[in-house]
Amino acid sequence: MLSLITRRLMTAIPTLLVIILASFFLMRLAPGGPFDGERPLDPATQAALQQAYGLDRPLWEQAWLYISRLVQGDFGPSLVYRDFSVSELIAQGLPISLTLGGLAIMLALIIGVTAGLFAAVRAGKAADKMIMMLATVATALPTFVTGPALALCFGLWLGLLPVSGTGEGGAWLIMPVVALALPVSGAIAKLTRAGLASVLKQDHIRTARARGLSETKILFKHGLRPALVPVASYLGPAAAGLLTGAVVVETVFGLPGLGRYFVQGALNRDYPLVLGVVTLYAALIILFNLFADLVYGWLDPRMREG
Amino acid sequence: MLKRHFPLILVLLIVMLALVLPFLLPWTYDQIDWDAVRAPAFNGSHIFGTDEIGRDRLARLAAGTQVTLMVAIAAALVSLIVGIAWGATAGWVGGRVDEAMMRIVDGLYALPFMFIVILLMVVFGRSILLVFVGIGLVEWLTMARVVRGQVMALKQRPFILAAEAAGTPSMVIMLRHILPNIAGVALAYLMLTVPQVVMVESFLSFLGLGVQEPLTSLGILVKEGADDMDMAPLGLLLPGGLLVLILVCLTIEGERLRDRFS
Repeated sequence: MLSLITRRLMTAIPTLLVIILASFFLMRLAPGGPFDGERPLDPATQAALQQAYGLDRPLWEQAWLYISRLVQGDFGPSLVYRDFSVSELIAQGLPISLTLGGLAIMLALIIGVTAGLFAAVRAGKAADKMIMMLATVATALPTFVTGPALALCFGLWLGLLPVSGTGEGGAWLIMPVVALALPVSGAIAKLTRAGLASVLKQDHIRTARARGLSETKILFKHGLRPALVPVASYLGPAAAGLLTGAVVVETVFGLPGLGRYFVQGALNRDYPLVLGVVTLYAALIILFNLFADLVYGWLDPRMREG
Repeated sequence: MLKRHFPLILVLLIVMLALVLPFLLPWTYDQIDWDAVRAPAFNGSHIFGTDEIGRDRLARLAAGTQVTLMVAIAAALVSLIVGIAWGATAGWVGGRVDEAMMRIVDGLYALPFMFIVILLMVVFGRSILLVFVGIGLVEWLTMARVVRGQVMALKQRPFILAAEAAGTPSMVIMLRHILPNIAGVALAYLMLTVPQVVMVESFLSFLGLGVQEPLTSLGILVKEGADDMDMAPLGLLLPGGLLVLILVCLTIEGERLRDRFS
């Protein structure tokens, strides 16, 4: 297991490097710069600013400089939020995004696995068909529709939950997390149902039945674990989807998370901020995929690599 | 038949309405009715009322649906072509080439691809053509995996071996024998790609990075509706509901088709 982790981390480094360089050069190809505001600056100030941030040097040199600072944990200064470094902005935004994403994936797992389990037990019956239909509908619910719709319903009409911003207690988290979790929970329900249906037909389950084990014990002790293998392999893509969804949810609910900084940064040509967020997201996704692989190996020992 | 394929029929109906309505309505999607700004529903000639600057909601819905579906079909075709070319090559050649090509697909799968697409949109302006290409390039991965699997299985079949033994060139085998045999599965996944693409397009438009004014799309309409929902909930609920309806119907039909072929 340790060698799997080291091997994966070794391949993660070149992957990250490619992403950083690709985003770096993409950003620089863009017309417009961080200092063209409403009121054009005079050329001397413009040049001085360019020089101060090293933007007048050759691109390759800038890229090299950026990466060598990054290795030391320095994401550079933000060009738009002038008083902050990118590290400070990330330190502000990351906890919010991680809370949202973490809670959403937990909620999705709880709803999805429970619904899938219930459907598999009732395979072929009306309850099964109903749950699977709901799961399909849930997978097709985009966060940018459910987010505002929830805000309209529970925020504006019923006045139960805050419509925007963070506040005291956890009430502000409910709607963003639900909007994020819904599509993922639908997909997890389908995977659990399909996995369990095929596992329950296998020999070891028949043996367990023949030995007279209770149906609950068969289901939870012998059925569920192998049935969750497809769910584990879906966790990687799900994490990527949640991060993307978080961009929308943070915009809709006015939460100062990383996704909002990313969109603002991209629109304002805040090169270091965008690069920092992309790098961080890529690293998070790679880490989460590794975690998913470990879960995978735990669920199904045949999948363990040496 | 009619009942079974209700979702598909519903989508076709929506498409037809979106195509025909602009010719029937007295208002175009970008025309401002100064006498009826923020008109409520069923107000004179505005069936669903008007938005905050007096444009007819129904006309905008029809125009937005047209653009969204057009982008979706074009981008899904891009993903179909790239996916089939990539997957078929990997599956057919096999060995190291296959290994390398599929590693690239695996690697891309794990990336925060949406963010690269957002960067692309910011960098190269927001032309509608780029929206097609950008989305198509993200969505080809699943198609490539599926096609590769199909080609690998077909390669072992006697009729392909026979064609090879008869000295038929690879290109001809591919076009004459392999492609027709993967068409069904490819069609099923194409159908599942369309809702994915609709979602990505609306997502980009929602963030203001997709289709640009004066053109409109369902994503833009949802965004406009969300910004104004405390004044006019209909502006959010109509495009949002229509978008979800289209997504759900296409997903149901696509999954049904996929299950039939696998």
